Amino acid sequence: MSDAGMAVVKPEMKSYIWLQTADGSIQQVEEEVAMFCPMICREIIQTGMGSSKNYAISLPQRVNPSILGLILDYCRFHQVPGRSNKERKTFDEKFIRMDTKRLCELTSAADSLQLKPLVDLTSRALARIIEGKTPEEIRETFHLPDDLTEEEKLEPLRNITDDPRIRLLNRLYARKRKELKEREKLKDVEVEEERADDRSVEDLLSFINGADGDSKGCRTSKNKKKNRRRKDQSKDSSSNNSNENQKKESDALPSACPNDEVSDILAASPSRTSNFQDFDYADIDDDLDPAKMEELDREVEDFARRLNSDWPERMQEILSLGPERRLVSMNVNGSLRRYSGLDRR
Amino acid sequence: MDTEVDRISSLPGNVLDQILSDLPIRDAVRTSSLSRNWRYKWSHIPHLVFDTQCVSIPSEDQTVGKNKLVSIIDHVLLLHNGPIYKFKLSHRDLLGVSDIDRWILHLSRGSTKEFVLEIWKGQRYKLPSCLFSFENLIHLELLNCLLKPPSAFKGFRSLKSLHLQSVTLAQEVFENLISRCALLERLTLMNFDGFTHLKINAPNLQFFDVGGVFDDVSFENTLLLTQVTIALYEKVKNDQNMSRRSSCKLLSFFVNLPRIRRLKIHNYFLKNLALSKIPSTLPKSWVDLNYISIHINFNDFEENAVAFCLLKSCPNLQEIEMLGRPEEKAVVGPLTGLWGDDNWKSLFGQLRQVKIAGISGTRSELDCIKFLLSNSPVLEQMTVRPAPNEGGLEMVKELLRFRRASTRAEVIYMEP
Repeated sequence: MSDAGMAVVKPEMKSYIWLQTADGSIQQVEEEVAMFCPMICREIIQTGMGSSKNYAISLPQRVNPSILGLILDYCRFHQVPGRSNKERKTFDEKFIRMDTKRLCELTSAADSLQLKPLVDLTSRALARIIEGKTPEEIRETFHLPDDLTEEEKLEPLRNITDDPRIRLLNRLYARKRKELKEREKLKDVEVEEERADDRSVEDLLSFINGADGDSKGCRTSKNKKKNRRRKDQSKDSSSNNSNENQKKESDALPSACPNDEVSDILAASPSRTSNFQDFDYADIDDDLDPAKMEELDREVEDFARRLNSDWPERMQEILSLGPERRLVSMNVNGSLRRYSGLDRR
Repeated sequence: MDTEVDRISSLPGNVLDQILSDLPIRDAVRTSSLSRNWRYKWSHIPHLVFDTQCVSIPSEDQTVGKNKLVSIIDHVLLLHNGPIYKFKLSHRDLLGVSDIDRWILHLSRGSTKEFVLEIWKGQRYKLPSCLFSFENLIHLELLNCLLKPPSAFKGFRSLKSLHLQSVTLAQEVFENLISRCALLERLTLMNFDGFTHLKINAPNLQFFDVGGVFDDVSFENTLLLTQVTIALYEKVKNDQNMSRRSSCKLLSFFVNLPRIRRLKIHNYFLKNLALSKIPSTLPKSWVDLNYISIHINFNDFEENAVAFCLLKSCPNLQEIEMLGRPEEKAVVGPLTGLWGDDNWKSLFGQLRQVKIAGISGTRSELDCIKFLLSNSPVLEQMTVRPAPNEGGLEMVKELLRFRRASTRAEVIYMEP
């Protein structure tokens, strides 16, 4: 009856593995649980480490103690062979409920331990979090910096995006592209377009006041600039046919009205991305007449307002972009500065 | 502080690929507008899926919808940067043939491993020859396509899984396709035309499922085949003379399936097997077969005989399903004694589950049930469900009477 004197032998001597996280703290874990992690398993088998505190297995840096705890919970559950699929699935669903920050940490840690089932589980959970959200919401959830320039952000990616601001800019770009197409067509007919500013005041006014006419006017000068650049910046391209061309152009201006914007979206080939951006800005030159500049500024300001962005700041950003982009910065006063990069073709 | 840190952007590339691949393509591409870092992350995803859910185009005019879809796919393919392992195209608005040709050409220059193309409407889409140069293809799935490979086509050397539905291909094309894809493990054929004889020569094939109209199925060199489903959708012409002379179809069908484990003989295929000499027993048994499902016309003498012969050759069956195929009830004389007096021979030492459905209580049906009950010592459950408007007390009375070899057996009568 009295076993007091007898030593009681434990029925099972569990063996433990010692693990050390990057911060130096060491913990011990049942062997079968630790072996569920391929990386730990390999370490044990190949190097024999982990059997005692002094020879603890060093875990990758991405695994901190609390995340390790989570991972070991996961392993502890799943390494038991007899569980049904339903049980495992239920466990997974409950397990994955945590805040986004921990979820990311867990994904990273699981990947460093090569625990593929857990990586699959967490990746899927992250995908479900991202799915269906707008870019703003995603940025908010994951604390992503909103560091795309207005220009980059508003490249007409495709018609897929339904952010109203992007749609708006798409419309404008679509309109400009259309104008560009007209210009291209005209260019085929004419050799060179040189534009002297001989237009009457009425013309100028109509440019300023009308939405489309302005843009087309801008486009004209841009094209002209491009041509000039091709000829090595020589500014004495023949201005013989300038007046003629001018007239032709005015006649040929199609009456695209704002109502066409919708069809523009549909018809626009959104394949012009960064090249187009270059074109837009790079061709605005110091030589533009003041009315033109004014118009441009107004358009731009309008945009700025609609986009709720701080325009001057954005312009600074554009300025600070790398040399692969030729850009123009404008400040609200309307004066233009030209920024040209190394790439001059 | 710590909570403001962006933790997701620094996840390793393969993990991000996995996350983005799990999103509908629309959401994945939209991540390019999140931040500078994310601009091109999506462009490395290895899976591209364009189906009606992933790319929902508010349906206006059909042509407009189609043009949008084409534009989107063109864009994604152009902006995508990296290998495309899986490509799936299954959109209801998809009609343009030349566009698909172009995309397949683009993919053929890469290393696509999985290709799924489903044409929902219109005629069979003729696959361009560049499809047959997909060197790394492992899984191919086609719906509503026409296959005409170039004569130099040597098969898909890595193909493991082939799923063809509503396809047209010529007899030699089919045979060559199967025999030249040496690694083929899974083959599914649903509704096909252009060939009527299914010669399956596939040394690595494990799973085979066919449903359609054909004359014959023959296996060659299919020693690894373990799961077979054959559904013949139309009755074959009943040539009495031919059937007497031809050798036992049942045997020739099974002789090349030594390791078969799961078998389904559906619709009219049993009738097809019955169109030949039917021996009383087969010379060998299929010891690996543990599940069988048969569609049988219990009023047809030959079909009963064939089923009886077949079941007797499968001693290790664990589960049997027999579904009555209601047909012309033209009974040619009383169908008795079809299921033999081989009672109490414990023919089915492992049989645990039996499902009988679609019956009306005819003699042959009841004999069959009696046969099964008296030969299955470990039977646990038999469910009997009569055909609609059939059944009734008479059937139940008979069922109640049958002796059972298994003391644990439950016979459950279910309402039609």
